[in-house]
Amino acid sequence: MIRIVTLSPFDEGDIAVLAKTLFTAFGLGTEYAGERQLPPEAEQDDGRYDAVKLLAEVNPVKTFADDKVLFLTDAELAMRRGPLGEPPCWSFAQYGGEKAVVSTSRFPERGVTEASIEAWRKRLARESIHAVGHLWDLHHCYDARCAMHPSWSPSLPASPEAELCSFDREKSERKVRLAKT
Amino acid sequence: MPHPRAPAKSLLHLNARGKGDPVKGPPARHEEPKEQLPAVEGVITDAGELEVGDRVVYPNQGVCRITGVEKKEIAGQRLELVRMEREEDGAAVLVPKGKVPTIGLRKVASGDQIEGVFHYLAAQYDDPELDWKVRHRDNADRLIAGGVLGVAEVVKGLHSLSRIRPLPAKEREQYDNARHLLVHEVAVSLAVEPGLAEDYIDYALMPPPGVTFKLKPPPKPVELPARPRRKVVRTDEEDLGIDDLGLDLSLGEDGERPPGAEATAGEEAVAIPGIPSPDDIPLPDTEAEPETVGEAEAEGAEPEEGEEVPAVPPPRKPAPAKKPEASPASKAARSKPAAVKKAAAKKATKPAAAARAKPAPKKAEKKKPAAKAPAKKPARGGKKK
Repeated sequence: MIRIVTLSPFDEGDIAVLAKTLFTAFGLGTEYAGERQLPPEAEQDDGRYDAVKLLAEVNPVKTFADDKVLFLTDAELAMRRGPLGEPPCWSFAQYGGEKAVVSTSRFPERGVTEASIEAWRKRLARESIHAVGHLWDLHHCYDARCAMHPSWSPSLPASPEAELCSFDREKSERKVRLAKT
Repeated sequence: MPHPRAPAKSLLHLNARGKGDPVKGPPARHEEPKEQLPAVEGVITDAGELEVGDRVVYPNQGVCRITGVEKKEIAGQRLELVRMEREEDGAAVLVPKGKVPTIGLRKVASGDQIEGVFHYLAAQYDDPELDWKVRHRDNADRLIAGGVLGVAEVVKGLHSLSRIRPLPAKEREQYDNARHLLVHEVAVSLAVEPGLAEDYIDYALMPPPGVTFKLKPPPKPVELPARPRRKVVRTDEEDLGIDDLGLDLSLGEDGERPPGAEATAGEEAVAIPGIPSPDDIPLPDTEAEPETVGEAEAEGAEPEEGEEVPAVPPPRKPAPAKKPEASPASKAARSKPAAVKKAAAKKATKPAAAARAKPAPKKAEKKKPAAKAPAKKPARGGKKK
């Protein structure tokens, strides 16, 4: 089961579409599990939230074995600086773990037109599949059409698809099958 | 006709030399065995170095933690075993103490090594090995014996290749495994979450638009030891690309090949009834096969040679006693030996068939176009000239 938890206000329609997309992508039941507060401990001096700390400090959500929790926020996330600098943070997931967070701060404007809302939802779905994919042990994929392709990659199309490539889909299916007790 | 394996050789050669100065692909395997290759940094050569709680990298398995040393009796032998626990999933690994120096167990990469890995990943790479057999084999060795840089080389190499074309399934899996090993080692070495480590790696591999790195010269690529040469049992016909060099290694080995079997484009072969010549036996050569099939199709539903020859006896032409030297032309013709031989045999049988003519006119007529095609009738299938 995938549980969606919001850390800031989100439109119900967006959540419903997202739940449907995640169900299609992973074959797992998906439901909205309420709202939580952003943990103040994770906030940095520049106003961004440390993604790792955020997942560690956020109020717990009741889960069962093999459940995955996806947090959604519009706050900007940050990562610890790496050897070559700080990668842009669209989402963060505990690899093979339970919790992931997606930020919509880098998305294009949601807008009010049907097309722009559609594009925004598609991007949300894509980033959510990416984050949940990490929870199911998926690594980044070199295929720019796959949802597991890094979100900042220069080869990513402007409106990327919210789908996994066949390799990742098979791998996630295998992992999900093994995890089901 | 150029041999299909020839380009691979030349590419390998190019890779060995390298070109330009951005990061080259990892060097090709040494042609000659080198005993004194520099050991990969951090390899544990003595089990005495290991202490409980140490973190080590087991090649192809990932980061493990030493949990103890225990004694067990296995098959009547009393063995001292090092017990390790794979950090990723807690799987237990037991290694006899005496085997520790030989399995490539190494310490987790140091900060300097990891920095080198990132500079290597971020550097330009434009020389992927294009021969998949060589690449796959070398990558497998790099994962085992190449240390953290070897793993990074596999990731980088396959990633670069994936920009040219999608990876085949096996290599896609190898890429994923290598990435998995690299992510976990980087995570342990930098003491960060694996999710972060992967982002660091991909930030280096695929930097966002407008981002440039100040890179240090990347570390020297891993040198692989030579593989022990296997004794390959093969027939003379097996093509190893030697034909393209214009050498005839089969000459002088009398008795291995009947004289008539050396049929070439310029001469007529004598078919011995009931005994198919070695050239008629399909070779395990990937080059000749498609052509032979094509020819056979063009000839239509032709009966087997064994069936045909007794019905129409071969003409009594003096057989060429021995072919003294194989000319370059003959070499070229040998690239499709079966087809040439068949055509030659048909030529030989045709006059006899014409002389006796009547008893089996239909069969003979059917075969004529194929046999005589070059001289008289235009080919129906478009293959014959």
